Amino acid sequence: MAVIESHELVKIYDEEGVPVRAVNGVDVSIKRGEFSAIVGPSGSGKTTLLNIIGGLDEPTSGTVSIEGTDLFALDQNERIDFRLHHIGFVFQAYNLIPVLTAIENVAFILQMQGKPNRECRQRARELLESVGLSDKIDKRPNELSGGQQQRVAVARALASKPDFVLADEPTANLDSTSSANLLDMMAELNRKEEITFIFSTHDQRVIDRARRVMTLEDGKIVSDETREPETA
Amino acid sequence: MIFKLSWKNIWRNPVRSGSVIAAVLLGTWAAIFLSAFFSGMYEQHIRNELDNHVGHLQVHAPEYNEDARTAHYIPRDDSVARIIRQYSFIHSVSNRTLANGLASSSANNYGVTIIGVDPDEERQVSRIHEQINTGTYLDTTRRSPVVVGEPLADRLKLEIGSKVVLQFQDVSNEITAGLFRVVGLYSTSNAQYDETHVFVHKKDLSPLLGRSDLTHEMVARVDDFHRADVYADSLDAMLGGVVVESWQDVSPMLRYINSSLDTMMFVFMAIIILALTLGIINTMLMAVLERTHELGMLMAIGMNRSRIFTMILVETFLLTLTGVPLGMLFSWGSISYLQDTGVDLSIVGEGLREYGLGTHIYPIIETDHFLYLALMVAVAAVLAAIYPAWKALKLNPVEAIRKV
Ligand SMILES: Nc1ncnc2c1ncn2[C@@H]1O[C@H](COP(=O)(O)OP(=O)(O)OP(=O)(O)O)[C@@H](O)[C@H]1O
Ligand SMILES: [Mg+2]
Repeated sequence: MAVIESHELVKIYDEEGVPVRAVNGVDVSIKRGEFSAIVGPSGSGKTTLLNIIGGLDEPTSGTVSIEGTDLFALDQNERIDFRLHHIGFVFQAYNLIPVLTAIENVAFILQMQGKPNRECRQRARELLESVGLSDKIDKRPNELSGGQQQRVAVARALASKPDFVLADEPTANLDSTSSANLLDMMAELNRKEEITFIFSTHDQRVIDRARRVMTLEDGKIVSDETREPETA
Repeated sequence: MIFKLSWKNIWRNPVRSGSVIAAVLLGTWAAIFLSAFFSGMYEQHIRNELDNHVGHLQVHAPEYNEDARTAHYIPRDDSVARIIRQYSFIHSVSNRTLANGLASSSANNYGVTIIGVDPDEERQVSRIHEQINTGTYLDTTRRSPVVVGEPLADRLKLEIGSKVVLQFQDVSNEITAGLFRVVGLYSTSNAQYDETHVFVHKKDLSPLLGRSDLTHEMVARVDDFHRADVYADSLDAMLGGVVVESWQDVSPMLRYINSSLDTMMFVFMAIIILALTLGIINTMLMAVLERTHELGMLMAIGMNRSRIFTMILVETFLLTLTGVPLGMLFSWGSISYLQDTGVDLSIVGEGLREYGLGTHIYPIIETDHFLYLALMVAVAAVLAAIYPAWKALKLNPVEAIRKV
């Protein structure tokens, strides 16, 4: 069964009286363990689509179901709670809570889920190890490089054992080496732990790593290809 | 967890957090201290007026209240005084002979009220004897002494030993006069009173009016001047043929001041607390809006509204609830220091005398009033925390994240 199933998704923004169809009839189905990229020119609707799939934004019409749950049948509060338990997020920036250390940032999600403190820290430590940051667990975000911050964000996204991880241009603020490292790490997590990743990107090197590439143009999916990724 | 995050958040901008604490501290202090200052000022004004001039209760013949002639004296004053003195709430009573007339010196003349007293009795109800700046009070061996206020002495060019002729109507409405010698100059906080009231011996004044001992006014002190109204009513009901009035009846102005104090305080506190509330709201709102992205991210990753709300609320609480006790401490300290030393207002002192005040104000506050004000500030600070927290809820996570 698909993890994510969207049907006839439409999002119309009103730009000073002119309707903008940011997402214009998208049907996607994402299966467990996929490592997919959504690509397309700027303004093609990538962010809008990811936000709707992640339940951050409501579509004008259409449905999204995640593991059988109709996302927009939930009310606002239920949806926040659903995100906490089922979806991992990695944003382009502003991912971390600046006053908390790396381990506290990761543990925070687990604490919100009501897990006991000891367990939270233990799991946060393991996750930071798995993203290669075991020596940085007590550093604050401003003491970490951009790439390290994004790794913490990935660890945080994985903390709740989500159904999938959404990453909107996770490498946009990173140099090429850091981008490659982050992608390696995500690919490895995908391979070893079957984590489902969906990310949007402009970056050709990132696109090359994806096993499925969906291309958006003017809010529509114009191509959808599955292939063996190039190895770095 | 939320508490810990709030705690860390307030350390992000120590200057801003410090300024919120300082504002709350100042607000608490201002509310409490100013309240104590004005209570002290009004209490002092009322006490001065009562101690020096009005007394707590006054007894007159009903006709005297209609028309203050010397003929309208209190009949059977001895028995009236005896009945009054039987009440346990009565501290002391002084019988006064009164005459309205003219004081003349070689230089000038001026309309005055002449008050004839028995100095020993009068000491028990008023404090004019303590306000003598030059010379002595009436207890002197000199014949026909008179004590006049300094402003009157200036006007009539009087000094100790000067002769003054006091002219008035006797009980038969005939004009009569007596020659008195100035033995003392007094000065109270009420300059207007001082200019128009002179004190002589009752036993000197009464014969001039045509009787050996006449009483127009009995002034009594009671145990608690705040209860004077009640005491006056019960005495009035007991005594026939006379009118008993409380100081509030005698001086509607004082009654007004006394009763308007609460209203004034309320308006004052409302202004202080409003300013404080707006200050807190403004600062904390800034702290929230500055973190738009972060709050959006927190909502996106699953921090629910009640947690966001609680987090911001706790941040404000930590600051305000540090400020309130500090403010209480400061105001307690400054009040206890100044209630003995007084706030020296001698720079503006001359102006204050016009209003019947001394040059030092001794702030006073009752414990429950103190706690009540602190509580009010705390409640206001808590209410002020709600708006920024509520505003944080209105953030849309998508918008918050998108704005890079
Ligand atoms: N809140 C909004 N109000 C109005 N129009 C919006 C809003 N958000 C997005 N749009 C419009 O929707 C369209 C799609 O935007 P979106 O951000 O999804 O594109 P994108 O593919 O993510 O672009 P980029 O590669 O630049 O991130 C654009 O035309 C954009 O101007
Ligand atoms: Mg985008």
